[in-house]
Amino acid sequence: MDGGNYRPCGDIEHLLGRRQFMGDLLAGTGVVAGSSLLASAAGAGEIAGRGKSVVVVYLNGGISQFESWDPKPHLETGGPFKAIQTTVPGIHISELLPHTAKQMHRMALVRSLNTKQDDHGLANNLVRSGRMTQSATEYPELGAVVAKGLERADFPLPGHIATMPAGAGGRGNNAAYLGPRYGSVNVGAEKGGVVNARLPDGLTVTADQRRHDWRRFADRRFRGRVDSAEIDAYTQTYEQALRLMERQELFDITREPSRVQEAYGRSEFGKQLLLARRLVEQEVPFVEIQHGGWDFHHNNFEFHLHYVADFDRPFALFVEDLAQRGHLERTLLIVMTEFGRTPRINTGYGRDHYSRAWSIALGGCGIQHGAVIGKTDAKGVEVTDRQVDHRHLFHTYLQAVGIDSAGDFDIAGRKFPVADPAVGPIQELLA
Amino acid sequence: MKPPNAKVTLDLVASKVMTDWAHPSNLLCCRVDPTGKYVVAGAIDHTIQRWEIANGKKTTMAGHQNWVRALGFSPDGKTLYSGAYDGRLLFWETGAENPKPVREIPAHRGWLRGLAVSGDGQLVATCGNDRLVRVWSARDGRLLRELQGHPDIAYCVHFVPGSHELVSGDIVGNIHHWKADGTERARVFEIKEIFFHIGDLAPFGGIINLGFSQDGRTLVASGLHKVSNAPGGNRRPVAVPIDWSTGEKRPKYESLKKDLDATMWRALHHPAGPLIGVMGKEVGFWNPGTPDVTHMTPTPSEIFDCDLHPNQIDLFTAHHDGHLRSIRIGRA
Repeated sequence: MDGGNYRPCGDIEHLLGRRQFMGDLLAGTGVVAGSSLLASAAGAGEIAGRGKSVVVVYLNGGISQFESWDPKPHLETGGPFKAIQTTVPGIHISELLPHTAKQMHRMALVRSLNTKQDDHGLANNLVRSGRMTQSATEYPELGAVVAKGLERADFPLPGHIATMPAGAGGRGNNAAYLGPRYGSVNVGAEKGGVVNARLPDGLTVTADQRRHDWRRFADRRFRGRVDSAEIDAYTQTYEQALRLMERQELFDITREPSRVQEAYGRSEFGKQLLLARRLVEQEVPFVEIQHGGWDFHHNNFEFHLHYVADFDRPFALFVEDLAQRGHLERTLLIVMTEFGRTPRINTGYGRDHYSRAWSIALGGCGIQHGAVIGKTDAKGVEVTDRQVDHRHLFHTYLQAVGIDSAGDFDIAGRKFPVADPAVGPIQELLA
Repeated sequence: MKPPNAKVTLDLVASKVMTDWAHPSNLLCCRVDPTGKYVVAGAIDHTIQRWEIANGKKTTMAGHQNWVRALGFSPDGKTLYSGAYDGRLLFWETGAENPKPVREIPAHRGWLRGLAVSGDGQLVATCGNDRLVRVWSARDGRLLRELQGHPDIAYCVHFVPGSHELVSGDIVGNIHHWKADGTERARVFEIKEIFFHIGDLAPFGGIINLGFSQDGRTLVASGLHKVSNAPGGNRRPVAVPIDWSTGEKRPKYESLKKDLDATMWRALHHPAGPLIGVMGKEVGFWNPGTPDVTHMTPTPSEIFDCDLHPNQIDLFTAHHDGHLRSIRIGRA
């Protein structure tokens, strides 16, 4: 080994790193200790000056628009559920969403989506990337674009976090040409949030620090000879993992008061929402929560009865909690799914994939609260007004949090449009 | 030799669809009146359709405000009881020229799922999404008993033959046996093999329907099992017989030779012996004690309920395509 200037102990960077480690740890602990459900909101000026966040609740598999945002009661396509009034006069949603109905004044609906893609994988790609694409890796997903667009040099946490029910690790390959720095980092809502985040028995902090000092030294030397984005990505991943370890308390929802945990509920979804709220408080630019398995080709109504109930109460509490803490005005909420379900009720009392006329809900930052964009015909078969698709939505999401969706990314001298330049945002949906 | 309760000789191999009456909306349930004059079916257009069996004359009975899921007749056939996803129990004069509900009872919070009439005609029992079983006076509609104990949706209810005791089944695979005075549960049977759970979110299957054998010695629970993909509907139909005196489960009735992605929506015992079960587009017949289906009669559309005509040779079936069909299964 060439000793070079490697000094495992007493190095000024080492000392700074340790000070930073302790500082971050203390800062994190302080924030956690200050949390409480529906606590007094921070001052408006304080919140307004903070970074924006986007939270996507992804209902994987395709929730039925009839049993959620665009009910058609008493019609042959409508199913057996009624529509109920919301807090916005004239807006009705499914009776399965009584709690969310009380938050509709903080939300908006788009009922006129026609995305022309009924395949799960491909539809998933297009709603996440805002492009017509066959490949999941061709364009960066919304989370990566937001992480880059809202990036702050001094921000200690990943900008793109995906929560999982249980402990999880790794990161998603969803940043395309933006690079892995903006890919999703997977964390869990249980078991302390971040897996493998504690040092193995017998390895002290000091010894671990020496290992990393050596790694950094070797990286710097190699990087001086080889110009490689991959090396940068590895280095960045290591450093990000260290920052996660240093701030793992932020991901531990058991540090919330028990009444807060009880309020969010014991479901996997409730726990993920509570984790998301903690991350929003830390100004993480993008958080995604998965609520999976909505692909009800069979028994659609029975399953929606249970699944929507599992979604409704914790989600409504999440919206209320963010609002009362003053974070909703800086947080865009999106209830995303890959397509809707068929108006036709099939022989198994299921609904199949349907992308010609479906809906999403969104709210919070930058959104015209109480808005309903577009409509479908009486039976929910076709869009009859203000047809839009995933591309318009992608522009809208970005504009809502102040990212110029008409701009370009400059990647090694090449220009990449941030969003599909053929269309623009849904202007009337923007606040 | 015919069994003591049988008036007919069955000829399952020759069984086939004999009548086919159409309605433009999916049918969920059907019952034949005990006099054999009418057959009624509940539809997702919120109506009950009544057909005169002799001539096929169809009459709409409008009164519910959601899918009509459960039907039953008084023993004399003069009164029809109906239950729907509007949570209401309606009483009707069966043969009225212009039928209107003669009594409307808000019976359950949420969907009403099951309905049964006692053999003496004095009681009507209902159950629903509110996990309750309720017992009503057939004479004046008064609530007589409310039975609590199901941990989730109560799917079906049935009177124990010759008594005011009840059995009720729920979506998570429990059968509750209730004493006649309703003061306590006599027994609880757990039939967990016909219940499946998707993560922590949603139960699937459970006790879809219940029925007793002619001699009252066997209770049969029908539903589904062998689930490989619940949202995709990959499951198999099944009926589980239970010895009524001991509570012991006997070998299941299945379709072993032919894979069917189906639920057994109803299983009933024919007086001549075989068990009849509707599953997918098929009507299955099992000899008692024989696990695999003896014979299957195909139909053009998925079947969601069935009922046997008092003549014991015509089985009426309610179909997803809106048709009510009858299948001749034997001869007098």
